[in-house]
Amino acid sequence: MIRFEKASVTYPGGVHALRGVDLTIEDGQFVVVVGLSGAGKSTLVRAINGLVPLTDGRLEVNGRDVTKLSQRELRALRSEIGMIFQSFNLVKRTSVLNNVLMGRLHVTPAWRSLLGMWRAEDIELGMQALERVDIVEKAYVRASNLSGGQQQRVGIARALAQKPKVILADEPVASLDPPTSHVVMRDLQRINRELGITTIVNLHFLDLARAYGDRIIGMRAGEMVFDGTGAEADEHVFRDIYGRSLTADDVIERAPGAFAAEGTG
Amino acid sequence: MSGGPQLDERGRPRHPGHRWRNIFTIAALLLIAWAALDIDVRPERLLTFPQELWTTVARMFSPPDLAYAPRALEAMIESVHMAWMGTIVGAVLSLPAGFLAARNTSPTAVVVVMRQILNIIRAVPELIWAIVIMIPIFGLGPLAGAMALGINSIGTLGKLTSEAIESIDTGPVEATRATGASQVQMLRWGVLPQVLPEVVAFWLYRFEINIRASAILGVLGAGGIGTLLINLFSFRRWPEIGTTLLVIVLVTMAIDFASAAIRKRIISGLPTKATTEAAPDAAGAWG
Amino acid sequence: MTAAASTRRPAKPRTPWTIWAGVAVFLLLTFWAANPWFGIGFTLIPLFTDLTRGERIIAEVLQPNWAFLPRTIDPFIETFQIAILATTIGCSIALPVSLLASRVTAPNAATYVSVRTVLNVIRSMPDVLWAMLFVAAAGFGPLAGVMALTMFNLGITAKLTSESVDSVDTGPIEAADAAGATRVQTALSAVVPQVLPGYIAYTLYVFELNVRASLVLGLVGAGGIGRVLQTELARFRYDNIAVVIILTFIIVFILDQVSRALRRRLV
Repeated sequence: MIRFEKASVTYPGGVHALRGVDLTIEDGQFVVVVGLSGAGKSTLVRAINGLVPLTDGRLEVNGRDVTKLSQRELRALRSEIGMIFQSFNLVKRTSVLNNVLMGRLHVTPAWRSLLGMWRAEDIELGMQALERVDIVEKAYVRASNLSGGQQQRVGIARALAQKPKVILADEPVASLDPPTSHVVMRDLQRINRELGITTIVNLHFLDLARAYGDRIIGMRAGEMVFDGTGAEADEHVFRDIYGRSLTADDVIERAPGAFAAEGTG
Repeated sequence: MSGGPQLDERGRPRHPGHRWRNIFTIAALLLIAWAALDIDVRPERLLTFPQELWTTVARMFSPPDLAYAPRALEAMIESVHMAWMGTIVGAVLSLPAGFLAARNTSPTAVVVVMRQILNIIRAVPELIWAIVIMIPIFGLGPLAGAMALGINSIGTLGKLTSEAIESIDTGPVEATRATGASQVQMLRWGVLPQVLPEVVAFWLYRFEINIRASAILGVLGAGGIGTLLINLFSFRRWPEIGTTLLVIVLVTMAIDFASAAIRKRIISGLPTKATTEAAPDAAGAWG
Repeated sequence: MTAAASTRRPAKPRTPWTIWAGVAVFLLLTFWAANPWFGIGFTLIPLFTDLTRGERIIAEVLQPNWAFLPRTIDPFIETFQIAILATTIGCSIALPVSLLASRVTAPNAATYVSVRTVLNVIRSMPDVLWAMLFVAAAGFGPLAGVMALTMFNLGITAKLTSESVDSVDTGPIEAADAAGATRVQTALSAVVPQVLPGYIAYTLYVFELNVRASLVLGLVGAGGIGRVLQTELARFRYDNIAVVIILTFIIVFILDQVSRALRRRLV
């Protein structure tokens, strides 16, 4: 379970990225966070695994208070949380399998990880993760030779290899074309439903948010301004979050006018 | 009229002039004139010199003593050995040094100290390392030369390595951190794969430079081609010198060529069997 | 996952033979270089057993004999003069040579291949060798030093500049061609301005290298401060050598700062 209590983050330059956010996410939920860039969605997500530390308030993740963890405890927490990035963040020069196995680094002894001699059971886990995202044939292909969509699926496999309790996805489809974006979102949804992993996704495409999110959180200027289901999130709500009318950039496939007429999902 | 070009009577802009450039050019010309006139060279020598050069060169190559080639080759190989081991010592020690001196992998205090250390090492010519430290400890011979080259190489290689590390893409590093990996694992999997080709290319280039430097150290008695040349020149053995010259040129050029080829291959990415396919698979048209 | 999915798993590819060959070659070369029978006998043991031998010398070096300073002034001036002249001559020749050595500006393939080869030959001879050669031809003294460093500078500067020319923007060249310029005119107007900043940087760089190199050249009699180094080495006067070392540092450091400032102003 993830619980923010009056959580605030102020960056050194004075930017208030999060202002007193109160939010509880139960295990197994599929949550989508929407908002403008700079609204705090990236900060919210990165606070969960401690990549961005809170400057005020409390954050409890998987039973631990993130603000009070030592370096080693933080690493242990991170090993339970898989993360997927907008620019995939794969190690380009090595194979897909090696990238996925980086998810097992936390449990791999130093000498093995230095030499790249992964344990057999870890390799098995890696292969299974690749199978789950349907890309196992590319296991030994160099990561830079894959398309964007393929690389992101490898990113998901890397997160899966950690056997995580939570998956965080920071704009996972922003660099992908519409059909590929749907494939990735569908994969994330399937993983959430089949494995019960809590999934939190940042998106700025509203139709994707409504299509895939069980629960939608709207962020604006560091505050949470909406918390509800996809059905409740209509055009007025989104205008609240964005502070302006919708534009074509906010949806992945259709004109904003059609959005209101579309109804639920 | 503020901020615009100066105009003359006809309203056209005046030539802006190159004040600093002209000052520098004049200063440089004066400096060169002074150097040429003040230097301790008798003008007559300038006239006799080409003739003497020609005579010497003629003595070296008409004909060169080819039977001497094996001996020359032996000395050259000793120099190459010196350069090889020196580069290895330098490479091995410069890798951690580079990590310590890079702002994104090391705390600021350590970075500052490490950078100064590397600067000092770089400033000391390998000659001095050899004379003052290595020869007394290791005695005369190629081992001292190798160690002197090694220490000197750490300076340049350390700096280049740290610069390469500072220019990496932070994405994969963040991803490694997010999996809960330790600091060492983060360096091994997030940083190292990105910088390794560039760093190995530096090592190879340094090897080329060290081959020339080993000749210099040989002059001090570290063995190899430098020591051989000192002997030959002091006894004026011209045909042997000619052969030795040929050996030096051929071996060095061969090594330079091989090193450049390997460096190019490394930077453009070593091909492996598994890198060939990138076409979308049948399972999904958009992969 | 189903059995069908597991059978789609690819087999781990074997490391290509080229990697094994490369590692084997590397290990062989290292063994060849390091072994005591026909290599250099690489060992770090003397660091532990003979460290104190260096102590005496280091102690002397740490107590520089400043009274020796006046005797170093003339040799340093000579070093300076050698560096100035060698850089001037070497780099002046290097600019046109670099144009001939580049695919982009050379009149034909034969030219740039042969010029490149000559440059490679020049660069493959260490500066000590040039120095010894010219000392043999011109006698002891700074003339040999100037000639030796001229060759050294020519080799380096021409190579670096020709590489700049190789990667020059071809747009202006096309424009000059289209305007009917001759090859020389094109080179001067479209190519040289692009490589000039780099060329000036290389010139300043080799000038610094020349000052450091004079330590070495003097050892073989080609003039400059190295001459002093040789004498004091023979006399085992490490306290005097220390003065030479320190002054060389200071001079190189000052040169470094000056050349940086110059580069900013000129470029």
